[in-house]
Amino acid sequence: MTSKLMESVQEDAKADMTPMIDCVFLLIIFFLCIDFKILEAKLPAYLPKDSGAQSTPTDPIEKLSLKIECLTPGEKHTRPGAKSDGKHEPAFYVVGHRVRYHVGPTPINTEDALVTELERIYRDRTKWTKDEKTGEPKPQPVVIEPGVNAVYGDVAIAVDAARKVGFDDIQFGGGMGTGGKKAPAK
Amino acid sequence: MAIGKRTKSVQQELVMDMTPMIDCVFLLMIFFVLVIDLSQQTLEDLILPKAKYAVPDEKPPENRPVVNIMQDGRIVVKKNDRYDPKLNGDDFSPIHGLLTEFKDTIPNLDIEQKTLGGTKMTLINDPLLIRADKWTEWHYVGKFMEACVYPAAAFWKIELALSEQDKETKMLQAVGKQ
Repeated sequence: MTSKLMESVQEDAKADMTPMIDCVFLLIIFFLCIDFKILEAKLPAYLPKDSGAQSTPTDPIEKLSLKIECLTPGEKHTRPGAKSDGKHEPAFYVVGHRVRYHVGPTPINTEDALVTELERIYRDRTKWTKDEKTGEPKPQPVVIEPGVNAVYGDVAIAVDAARKVGFDDIQFGGGMGTGGKKAPAK
Repeated sequence: MAIGKRTKSVQQELVMDMTPMIDCVFLLMIFFVLVIDLSQQTLEDLILPKAKYAVPDEKPPENRPVVNIMQDGRIVVKKNDRYDPKLNGDDFSPIHGLLTEFKDTIPNLDIEQKTLGGTKMTLINDPLLIRADKWTEWHYVGKFMEACVYPAAAFWKIELALSEQDKETKMLQAVGKQ
């Protein structure tokens, strides 16, 4: 009688591990997959709608020039874990890349100072232009002009700062940096 | 009495525990939903610059074309190289072909015909997303933008992709290089 009672108590004490293991697997898969799906952000900008020489007369619009000058291009190093696929070089990262921004004539060295300068210009409503459709005043367009050796990251910082301040008309101009390699002669 | 007990024990043996099967089905469903996400096929493995203030790209429109610009200037769309500066140089016809393909194949694009400065333009009023590596030299992106103003398919609204995380710094910290 006593041994039977003991047996039933022992049976009751056995915990079913299956749901816990299932949950652990679910969590592992969740955390593995969430790493691959990093949320991206976007910066809207506009390109000219037309190309070539224009005969249509238009009123001149004052634009804010934001130049990006590359002081040192930096040294390229292979990214950890990057491998060449045989056709293309492995991905790299750059050490010592330095740029200077020029908002109009003002040179700026840091991202925070760039935001401060853009905010100062944004607050000056005398520089605002008239919206063609509504007639309401709007901030002048910002023309991003990347120089030689500027990279996508530098331009993204400039556009990001301009959008943060409130400039919503972002355009691109100036030099496009060093030119791409020419196609081989056929 | 004895027959009743035997029938009960037979019935008990026949009961099947469905829990493991349901668990497995759930696991498989989650696996396929998260890993084999078809929309991710358009995104190349690039390290984008970190966004400080940009708007999160939470609900991207399904019909938005995505162009990846690699560090060496190659333009990759859905895992296919569509333009290579080493091979094509200043010949932008592959890019123009790509833009025309977008215009012709992507459904529900807002297309407008307009004559600007004497040139008949087919303006695409929907945005095109440019994803480039943070170290991609700007002239590659700039050249692509120049090519976007193509009269037969002019994508004049663009979006520059950024990341909400600084993946590169994390990667370098992990290997002790920063």
